[in-house]
Amino acid sequence: MQQKTTSLTLKSYLDLHQLLELYKGTHEKNRLFALAEKEANPVELLLLWLKKNLYRVTTELNSSKYLHYLTFFSSMFGFLVLILGFSTGAVLLSYSGSEPVNVIYLLLVMVALPLLSMLLSLFTMFMGNLGVQLFSHFSPLYYLEKMVKFLPFAKNIDFSSLPFSMALSKWIFLQRVQLFSFLFSLGIFLSLVLMIISKDIAFGWSTTLQIDAKSFQTLLATLAFPWKELVPSAVPSLELVELSHYFRLGEHLDINMIENADKLGAWWKFLAMATLTYSILLRLIFWIVTHYGFKQQLKKELFTLEGVSTLLKEFRTPYVSTQAQREEVHLDVAVKERDIVESSLENRYHILLGWNFSQEQLLLIGDTLDVYTSKKLVIGGKNSFSEDQKIINSLKKEILIYVKAWEPPTMDFMDDLVDILARKEVKKVDIAPLGISTNQYKSKREDVEVWLRKLETIDSEKLEVIDV
Amino acid sequence: MSNSYPKFAVVGHPNKGKSSIVASLALDDSIQIANTPGTTQIKRGFPLKVDGKIIYELFDTPGFQRARRVYAWLEEHGDVPADKRIDVVKQFVQEHRNNKQFQDEVELLDPIINGAGIIYVVDASKPYGAEYEVEMEILRWCGQPSMAILNLIGEEDYRDDWSRALGQYFRLVRTYNPMTAGHEEHIKLLESMAQLKEEWTESIKDAIDVLEMLYLEKIEQTIVEISDYMIKVLSFVYRQQIDGEEASEKEEEVAKVSYRKEISSYEHQEQKNIEKLWQHHDVEKNEELLNLEGVGLFSKESASIFGLSQKELILTGASAGAITGAGLDMLVAGSSLFLGTLIGGVVGGAATMFGFDNLYEVKILGQSLGRRELTVGPMQNLNFPYVLLGRALYHASLMSQRSHATKDAIEVKNIFFTEQIVQSKSRKILEKVHVKLRKGEKIEKELLEDYKVVVKKSFLGLIS
Repeated sequence: MQQKTTSLTLKSYLDLHQLLELYKGTHEKNRLFALAEKEANPVELLLLWLKKNLYRVTTELNSSKYLHYLTFFSSMFGFLVLILGFSTGAVLLSYSGSEPVNVIYLLLVMVALPLLSMLLSLFTMFMGNLGVQLFSHFSPLYYLEKMVKFLPFAKNIDFSSLPFSMALSKWIFLQRVQLFSFLFSLGIFLSLVLMIISKDIAFGWSTTLQIDAKSFQTLLATLAFPWKELVPSAVPSLELVELSHYFRLGEHLDINMIENADKLGAWWKFLAMATLTYSILLRLIFWIVTHYGFKQQLKKELFTLEGVSTLLKEFRTPYVSTQAQREEVHLDVAVKERDIVESSLENRYHILLGWNFSQEQLLLIGDTLDVYTSKKLVIGGKNSFSEDQKIINSLKKEILIYVKAWEPPTMDFMDDLVDILARKEVKKVDIAPLGISTNQYKSKREDVEVWLRKLETIDSEKLEVIDV
Repeated sequence: MSNSYPKFAVVGHPNKGKSSIVASLALDDSIQIANTPGTTQIKRGFPLKVDGKIIYELFDTPGFQRARRVYAWLEEHGDVPADKRIDVVKQFVQEHRNNKQFQDEVELLDPIINGAGIIYVVDASKPYGAEYEVEMEILRWCGQPSMAILNLIGEEDYRDDWSRALGQYFRLVRTYNPMTAGHEEHIKLLESMAQLKEEWTESIKDAIDVLEMLYLEKIEQTIVEISDYMIKVLSFVYRQQIDGEEASEKEEEVAKVSYRKEISSYEHQEQKNIEKLWQHHDVEKNEELLNLEGVGLFSKESASIFGLSQKELILTGASAGAITGAGLDMLVAGSSLFLGTLIGGVVGGAATMFGFDNLYEVKILGQSLGRRELTVGPMQNLNFPYVLLGRALYHASLMSQRSHATKDAIEVKNIFFTEQIVQSKSRKILEKVHVKLRKGEKIEKELLEDYKVVVKKSFLGLIS
């Protein structure tokens, strides 16, 4: 059963092509699929993937249409060829009673013609596209296919959309040529057997060429080489060849031939074996070879189908993901309408607070910025909460708070600020985000904006931000 | 065992680039990065998964908001030996899990108490402040392997001050700028992370191998994408039905405009594919700059930036023409005294001087049922393939080097581009393909492979 699902056929090839036009999967899904089928080789993987996903193609499968056409066409034409072969045999073996059946005619049709056809097939197998185009014109199948494509039952197939390269078409064509030739030869063989059973046929040989019986017998013995040991009676003897030689001059047959009429019938064994060997068995071998060639080509073409290389790459490349599972939660900032920005510091404040500054830093800032205050106090930083609380509880009148502009306001600061603003004694709170000392404490606009965005969430008339 | 992979919590003060570092390391440009404190409200895990198996996980966390209060709580409840301090931190998280006041601290401490290593991020372009020590103390209480990252957000450099302080609290201190960091810096940082804990080394090394493989795979895919695009555009023929015997001027103009539009849409699609390949999904925001619209594909500027210089162009044009000429010489077995090569060279060189307009191949093709077809293309301008290739390589190089943390728009720099990145020797292979495409011929597999090798070499030269 496993073999069935993982065997590459024309149907699976066409189905994969159709599926890939519709669906290619995702890297993640394809890789997970391949990991579950560790033992499978690339072709098997592709076929298993096809089996798993083919349900996605909801329209009629191209393969069904094409294979239906192929089967119908092959059956019809195969039957016709079989009949044709049978009829050809019957015509060739028709014995009027006045003249024996010429073995040379039979050999031309039963041996020479099939061998020539096989030779053409052999050339075609190894030829490039140009050779194929040339040789295919010698086959009736080529013309028949051209005609059949115009018939109603073939019209709903879009042949141009099928993924058949010149090479793949060549192998399909060759395979079918072998099949039809086989059926033709089978027809002749059946005809021969039937004629032999139902009629008394006298065989002879006649040619305009100056060939003596000895040379002709040597040629026949060479042809009979494959079955010489197996069926010795199917090798014409020199006596038989000599006896069968006749000429059309004169109104009557050689008296010797008439006397040995029973012996002339012995040719049939040779003819049957020649047909069986050169037309049927050899053709069977050719069919096997072309079938193998077709399979190999199909495998090759499978990897060139659009989307297959990506699919295979996804099968063998580990799927790497770095994305978060959890949705991001965004901050909603409620912005107040009131503008709380002032451009300059007042010179006088009751108390100056330095958030996250040290006393030394506050003194240095004081040297640069001309602000008078009665007290300079440090809050935040390494202060404990009780220390901060003590300071907050002592605040009144106008307060200036220096903050580091580059450090965004934390909730720790906001907590203290809310406490300060909540004090009735405090009339005004100015917040001055300062830049770094090397820049004379001038802050950057974008840093101040960060403070502004945060402070705008506090609704208090006492609050102002000073952009130094 | 499912939790045995290494985990790292990226923590720190608000607005110090934690999310940028995570975006850069997780190759995810969808992470919200803003200069408003508190943008990150919850912790988010970014697992590096290979075939569904987590190799390591990074956590983007909110910044410390009430560090002093947390530390005060820990001190109050933490009269315990050093090895038990982590339990006090766990107790804090447990007790305050539903307390809005400490939501940020709970979110950031949660992965750490569950075994994540600590990556503490500071902005080393700003002066050191003692207020950070409270945060570092809290992290020290967690007792997890830790490293500090000096992120240079601004122009100043206070790394020495920071290193002296951070060295007392963290095992490793490294500089990493997520805005400019490329693949190599990413790998170096991972190598540092691997040193934090012995048990994590193997996993992080696996992650490095995977990321290296992924990077090489992306380069290969980029080359395939660019080569396919080049072939598609250079062999493109626009077809339009016309009613009369000859196309009117207007019909011809409309067809030319449609031809250009179609090619521009191919470029747009190629850029989208490259962006997707390098996991830049958010690039659309800056689309007008990223798709190089400012420097239109058919503009003189584009030709001067991405195409070959006049001298190189004449040489290339001459050599391309000479190919045809040489073909003529070969046909007459040299009896033309190699005149063909000479004429071909001169004609090819002169052709490159024309603009794009006169170098479309416009044909009228007769069709059955009395209708005719006007075709425009393939583009015959010798410089056009280099403009096209230069733009594609330039865009791909930007995408491959672009940090996932950056949201900046990219700009086209005024450089003589293709000429510098594609050596004149290699250009012969490119030219062979371009000539064939101009003639509407099929490219053999071997030649296509050679073409890809040149494109790859140029791309690697550009990103090295």
